[in-house]
This record gives sequence, C-alpha cells and structure tokens, in this order.
Amino acid sequence: MNCVELQQSLAEMENGGRADQRAHLKTCPECSALVADLDLIAATAIELREAEEPSPRVWNSIEIALRQEVAELNLIAATAADLRGAEEPSPRVWNSIEIALRREGLIRPPRTSRSLLPALSSRWTWARWMVPAAAVLLIAVGIYVRQNSLAVQLSQDTAMPLASAAVSDIAIAGLNDADLLQEVAEQTPAVQAQYADNLRHVNEYIRDAKSNVDAYPDDEEARRSLLEAYQEKAMLFELAMDRSLP
Amino acid sequence: MTDRDSKEAQKQGNELNEAEAIERAKQGDAQAFQALYDRHKRRVYSLCLRMTANTAEAEDLTQEAFLQLYRKIATFRGESAFSTWLHRLSVNVVLMHLRKKSLPVVSLEETTQGSDDDSPKKDFGADDLALAGSIDRLQLQKAVDDLPPGYRTIFVLHDVEGYEHNEIATIVGCSIGNSKSQLHKARMKLRDLLKLNRAEKAEKLERVSDDSK
Repeated sequence: MNCVELQQSLAEMENGGRADQRAHLKTCPECSALVADLDLIAATAIELREAEEPSPRVWNSIEIALRQEVAELNLIAATAADLRGAEEPSPRVWNSIEIALRREGLIRPPRTSRSLLPALSSRWTWARWMVPAAAVLLIAVGIYVRQNSLAVQLSQDTAMPLASAAVSDIAIAGLNDADLLQEVAEQTPAVQAQYADNLRHVNEYIRDAKSNVDAYPDDEEARRSLLEAYQEKAMLFELAMDRSLP
Repeated sequence: MTDRDSKEAQKQGNELNEAEAIERAKQGDAQAFQALYDRHKRRVYSLCLRMTANTAEAEDLTQEAFLQLYRKIATFRGESAFSTWLHRLSVNVVLMHLRKKSLPVVSLEETTQGSDDDSPKKDFGADDLALAGSIDRLQLQKAVDDLPPGYRTIFVLHDVEGYEHNEIATIVGCSIGNSKSQLHKARMKLRDLLKLNRAEKAEKLERVSDDSK
C-alpha cells in the first residue's frame, strides 16, 4: 500500500485500520502524522459539546412566548363554551329537511282528523275502505292470537292451524300488495320504488315470522313477531293511503 | 459513605429530579420546565451554534427547540433518555432551518472516492506535523465555524455530538458511505484550517518580534 492508497482509504478506516493500513503507517511518518492529526481533531471535538452558554435573552424570549401561548389557550378554552348553541340555522335548513323527508315518505302532512273511520267523501274509493278495515282486523287478530297463547297450553295441536287461520283471515280482508302499489302509482318513481322496497321487506318479515310460528307453535314470542309484522304492513298501507290523499 | 458512593447517590438524585421535573413539566409546571431548560441549555445551544456558526441564529434556534419541547413533552414516553430525545428534537429544528435557508445540509456526493481537491497533498514536511500533540479548543471552534455547511453538519453530528454514521444517514437523508466521506473531508479541511491559523499566528509573532528588535 502506498501513501495515495492509504489516504484514499482513510474515510473507511475504523478501529486502528486494517493490517495493510497499519503496516504502511508504521513505515511512513507523513501518513502517520496525518492520521494522528485527524484523530486529535476528532478527540478534541467532544470538548465543543457543551462549550457555550446561551445569553439570558434566550430564556426571556421562551418565557414570553410560553406565557403568550398559555394565555391564548386559556382564551380559546374560555370562549369555546360560548360557541355552544351560539348560532341558529336559518329557516331554510328545516324547510329543506322537511321537503327531503316528505319526498322519501318518512313524514306525512298533519291530519285534520285522527279518526280511522272513513269520511263520507266522494274521493274515497272502495279500495280505501280496506285499510282501516285491515287495521281493525289486525287488532282482532292480535286479540285472537293473544287468547290462543293461553289456550295453547291446553291443546298444542291446534296452535299451528290457529296461526294459519289468522293469516288466511287477513288475506281475505284484502291486504293486497297490488292495491298498495296502485295507491302510490301517481307518485314519483323514486317514491314508488321506495314503497315497493318496503313492501318486499315487510313481506319477508312476515314470511320469517310465519316460519317461526310454524316451527315453534308454543312460542309466544314468535306469535308476537308475526303480529308485529302484520302491523308493519298495515302501517305501510296507511302511509300509502295518506300520501295519496289530496 | 465513600466519595464514589456519594457521587453515585448524587447522580441518582439528579436523575430522579429530572424524572420529576419532566412529569411536572408535562402538567404545565413552569418551574419544572425552567429546570429542564437550565439542565440542557448548554448542550442544545452549543449544538445550534456549531451547526449554524451564527450566534443570533443559534439563540433563535435554541428558543425554538425549547418551545417545541414544551409543546411535545407530553408525548415523551421514556423509551429513550430524555437528553437523547431532546437532542434529536434540536437537531431536527436546526436541519429544518438550514433547509429553509436552502443551505446544503450535506453534500450531494454519494461516493467515498475523493475529488481532485481532496487528493493527497505532497508537501510533506515538518509543518505538516504541527498539529501533533494539542489543539486549542477555541481554534478548533473557529475552524469548525469556517467549514462549509455540509461538512460542518456531519462533523458536528459525529465528532462533537457522538452520532453514528447510520444515525446521521437517517437524520440528514444521505447514505452511510456519504456520511463517512463527508466526515473525512471535514476533518481534512479542519486540519488545513488549523495549520493555516497556526501559520498566521506564527507569522504575526515573528513580525512582532522583528518590530521589537
């Protein structure tokens, strides 16, 4: 190894160097002096680590900055509580919400009368009489089913036929899906689609509840679910009827 | 209690005090925060001064480093020593400052091969042995201040502050090879500056001596 090679390898030299580096240093005073100088510089450098002390101005500036930050944070915290309920939305916001909800059939206009009995109006067709009739029938079914929940302890054999009878009674009363869709035929396609979707879901609910009653005729919970399913369907019909009213 | 035991007890006491100061500073205790400042200000300031070679900038950066400490101390989990954590924070503050000023944090050279400027000098002689033996800290300080910014960063991080090359590579975003190369060049440059400084002083002394005769 010559001097040029040695000095070009100094950047990678660690822990006293390789054997060839050490061998050259032993025979070359100039390279040896160079390495000694570089080691001395590295060794002395550590004395620079904590050599300086900042002027008192530094801490004063820090203190002022911190006081300002703390004051700002306190002000923000104190003002934050005032922001609660500080602003009132314009009436336009509620109007937009109401329009959107009505469009989706999620709210209905207030009724002038709460009575379920049909008014003697020429705008009422024969189909519209079905809905309140169906509601009355449902209540009767509910009572019927409830009474049978006591009787089932006496005769388990009659439970399934009784539930089926309730179902067929409802069908006879005319809760016809096509009639519901007819009621909303004059609404927008989006509303019609929503009703069709809701109808599909409630029919699935009824189907599942019926299966449950068939499987567990003694289960009062299953019968209650079936009643609830029919109640939902009746509500859907009621909504459709209200929507179609002028 | 022996002298050694006494020092050990004092060290443990100091460590506990720092731990307590850290916890109280996290709660917003101003006095505790000042205690931390007093304990670490020299190290942080010296780092800033060595890396910027400018007193005013170093003071501003020290202030910024401790303000960031105040804002971030709640995130200190004790996974490393507090001084290490603070130091790393300070280095980042300085490097961000240097980048904002568009100063080269480290040279773009990626090779460990020397450039023509760094080719081995052939003027060997007695003068080249002048550094052997001792270096004045103040002279070294001045020589470091005169280094190009890229060399200065690597030299300060490695030789002054004790970072390893793999850590420096991560901090400044260069390769380990580049870090080693820059450090070697920094030391070579410092050697030249120190020799020049000594030569100038010797020349001055000689002139003064001649004038007095």
